[in-house]
Amino acid sequence: MAVAIAVREDQDILNYCAKYLARESVDPRHNFGQYDSSDPRGRICEPWRFPIIDGHSDGRDFIASYAFNDVTLIYAAPFQQPVPREVGVVGTFAKLYEPLPLQRLMFQGSETPYFAVTVVVPKGEVHTYKFVVDGQPELDPVNPQRVVLDNGRTWSRFFTQNCTQPISLERWECALLQRLTDHILPFRTQEGQRALQQNLVNKTFLLDQSVGAVNFIDKLIAREENHYLDTYKTCLELIDRVLRQRNPFEEPASMPKPMFVTLYDEMGANNVPGWDYGRFDNPRFFLQLLRRHTFTGAFCHPKYGGNTQAAGWAFLEEKYRGVDGTTLFDWRRAVERPWGNDPDYHG
Amino acid sequence: MRDQFDVVIIGSGAGGAPIAHVLAQAGQSVLILEKGPLLSAQYQDPRGLSEYKRDELLATGSEKRIQHPVANQGASFYTSHVEPDLNDEPHIYRSADGNDRVTIEGYTAQVVGGGTNLYGAVSLRFTADDLRLRSYNDGRTDLRNDPNGDIQREVRDWPISYEELEPYYCQTERLVGINGTRVNQAKAFSEDNYQAPLEPNPISRFAEIGMDALGMARYRTPLAVITRDHAPSGRKAYPPKTGFVNRYGDPLGLKSNTWVSLLWPIIDQTDLELWPNCVVTHLEANGGQVTRVHFRDPGGTARSVQGKIVVVACSAIESVRLLKLSGELDADFNLRIDSSGLLGKYFLTHCFGGAEAIMPGRYDKSISLDSDWATDFCASDDFIRSNGLWAGGAIYNNTSDQALPISLARTHGSQDLDTIWKSFVDDTGMTGENLTAWMDANFGTRLSVSFMANQVPLPSNRIELHPTIRDKWGRKVAYIIKDWHSHDRYLMDTLAEQCARVLQFGGDGGQGGYPVNEKGGVYLAENGLVRIANHILGGARFGEDEQDSVLDPDCRAWGFDNLYVTDGAFMPTSGSANPTLTIQANSFRVADLLTARI
Repeated sequence: MAVAIAVREDQDILNYCAKYLARESVDPRHNFGQYDSSDPRGRICEPWRFPIIDGHSDGRDFIASYAFNDVTLIYAAPFQQPVPREVGVVGTFAKLYEPLPLQRLMFQGSETPYFAVTVVVPKGEVHTYKFVVDGQPELDPVNPQRVVLDNGRTWSRFFTQNCTQPISLERWECALLQRLTDHILPFRTQEGQRALQQNLVNKTFLLDQSVGAVNFIDKLIAREENHYLDTYKTCLELIDRVLRQRNPFEEPASMPKPMFVTLYDEMGANNVPGWDYGRFDNPRFFLQLLRRHTFTGAFCHPKYGGNTQAAGWAFLEEKYRGVDGTTLFDWRRAVERPWGNDPDYHG
Repeated sequence: MRDQFDVVIIGSGAGGAPIAHVLAQAGQSVLILEKGPLLSAQYQDPRGLSEYKRDELLATGSEKRIQHPVANQGASFYTSHVEPDLNDEPHIYRSADGNDRVTIEGYTAQVVGGGTNLYGAVSLRFTADDLRLRSYNDGRTDLRNDPNGDIQREVRDWPISYEELEPYYCQTERLVGINGTRVNQAKAFSEDNYQAPLEPNPISRFAEIGMDALGMARYRTPLAVITRDHAPSGRKAYPPKTGFVNRYGDPLGLKSNTWVSLLWPIIDQTDLELWPNCVVTHLEANGGQVTRVHFRDPGGTARSVQGKIVVVACSAIESVRLLKLSGELDADFNLRIDSSGLLGKYFLTHCFGGAEAIMPGRYDKSISLDSDWATDFCASDDFIRSNGLWAGGAIYNNTSDQALPISLARTHGSQDLDTIWKSFVDDTGMTGENLTAWMDANFGTRLSVSFMANQVPLPSNRIELHPTIRDKWGRKVAYIIKDWHSHDRYLMDTLAEQCARVLQFGGDGGQGGYPVNEKGGVYLAENGLVRIANHILGGARFGEDEQDSVLDPDCRAWGFDNLYVTDGAFMPTSGSANPTLTIQANSFRVADLLTARI
């Protein structure tokens, strides 16, 4: 598979990476519990930004370009280690047997410790890759996303915007989380459903997906808030167990609404009968986290995987109208196409 | 790498960019070192894309946790993409309980253009009295809540008058690109360079009615956003359509940040170099000459450059810190920069606060700039004296706050930078129908009226270096020690009441009985001690007496021949309005002095 390379100025790429990578400190200042204490990624600020997933544009056709991301793979020589001579990358977005060379980034004619290449990748995809450093394959030393493939080998991973493939959560976890998010933001009212049906760009969209809060969370705990992946895994398991104790005859994801209303009251009071406090001592914290994530996932820009098809915005657009029927949330005028209709803003 | 320049400027925001703009066009070689990245507007980018987005998750990012061993260790924080990471480079403040805490307060933005990218762009002038508050208060016996006479003892006149600054206000308004109206402003204008304002958001009608009912002469709030094509910067005006203003950079370049208005238009025609992602670590001097500016390049390599003139303008707290760090490395530097013992003292922000109400009806607040109506009612001599105040303030309504769904949630309970999301997160009962009921009540219904006023200058409000916490380069971080004076609290109560009255009279057609949900000065907030509104002023005040100021009237450091400080640090008092326009105007003034000198 041939991959398109996007030509980007060194300065552009330094703008993305200097703040996060350049440092002298070797303290684990950025380890919120997601790494071992010796993991060098705990020293890097917001390492989830790597590789950089950015908008793509050919400078002419912004609509056609919108289907792609620029993905900038950056290899940063580890702190106080010798800088390699050659760095390449192999990945599922290009030929797996032929490393794509990374270029040394220059600043004012001097070499920096960074190597980079920018490839054009369709939105909605998941890829794995490794760097090839002076001939030796190496995981991305910065990117927190790693995945063990079926053959037992570990690769670095990234996903592009608008991704809907499950990354963090299993099917049963998604189903239970769907119910949990539904009872935080009730879009399944009549007006909610009407708004979704009238406004969705893609009419075949499954209304069961609601507003994409589950997909948003699935991506968020893989990347920006990866430090909550374990929290979700543990708490979903504990909630599943609590609900099964209360009704052994029904799948938790299919249980009636009052079960969830009661559960939220109990979690809010930090007093959930049947909860394994030895595994996770603060169910109230999980409810707090879930509410922030659900609200954000419902109304964020769709590129984050939430607000699917801009359904959350469409819901508000429909729900809030003036006496003359004009919407009181005309989000489309400020948002780029294809979601909105601002001809000047390119997203 | 080139390392010799006529002028080296540290910081590309309101304090630095005007000097670069003038001196580069006067034929000087100018280097700007900027800590943050360069994020262009669409029209400047060959791909036609901007890294500023209409994306609520850029203004307030994903959750991180404070790791430093301070009282709020483990607390969540959510910085924007152009604010510093608090684990890499925190500000520490001493909170009311005597414990140290990390804060995001007191940072503007680390990006080319600095704070002029993220601010709400309110661009008010100071009044003539703001610059002579010592004279104004001389001999007064009617000042309330000042039992020890602190005000008359500590306040200083500026060494320049409004009349001297006025031409530079005109220059700034013309070059930067500002919309607004002049009539009813309590300041003299020799030129009217405002572009026409947009139609006000319909919800601002209530502020209009309230101000009229109270006899508060009103004008359209000057905002640094272009509404017409702007010839000096070559920018084209698009119809602004968005609530993505305050806390957002603007992808179309309509918001008049210093990069699009002052730097980009001249960068190809002059010997101006702009090096983003470069952190200045310290200055080196030989006697009264700063000889080298030391910095880390984008890869972290230590480098240095030389400038015949060195201008420090990296926002008041960071400028004071840089000067103190330089002083720690060199005793002679320290003696020269702090011969008065005042470096870091008289740190200032504003007295600010206001009132907020749920208005009748619902409005599309997503189509608005930051503010529509302003009044100088509380800046009049009458108002100040009749209330026993030492100085006045400006009042204006806010339209862009809580205009978008996620911002409604994360600022629920009037939370600000340090405590953003906190009330929403804590309010665990808001699920299901409770959450939709809350949105029904609050989305597109809330109107706030704010004030911005002078804070009493005190030597005990100060910036120091923190004894133990270090940034990612191993440098001591800034330590903010401040409190509100009893007169500040009284002044905030007094002006918040005026803001509340605007809503009380505006909400019911001028009767004065409309209910107001919240009102008060910022000192009442949970973290009220450290709230700064990102108006970071003082700490290196200018003056005529070498023993009583850090800078001379030209903003040159006493004891140095070639070192200037031109961000908000120079201010002896903080003025009755948002400071950016005045910082820019003063920098244009200093630029003229430097042009004459060179």
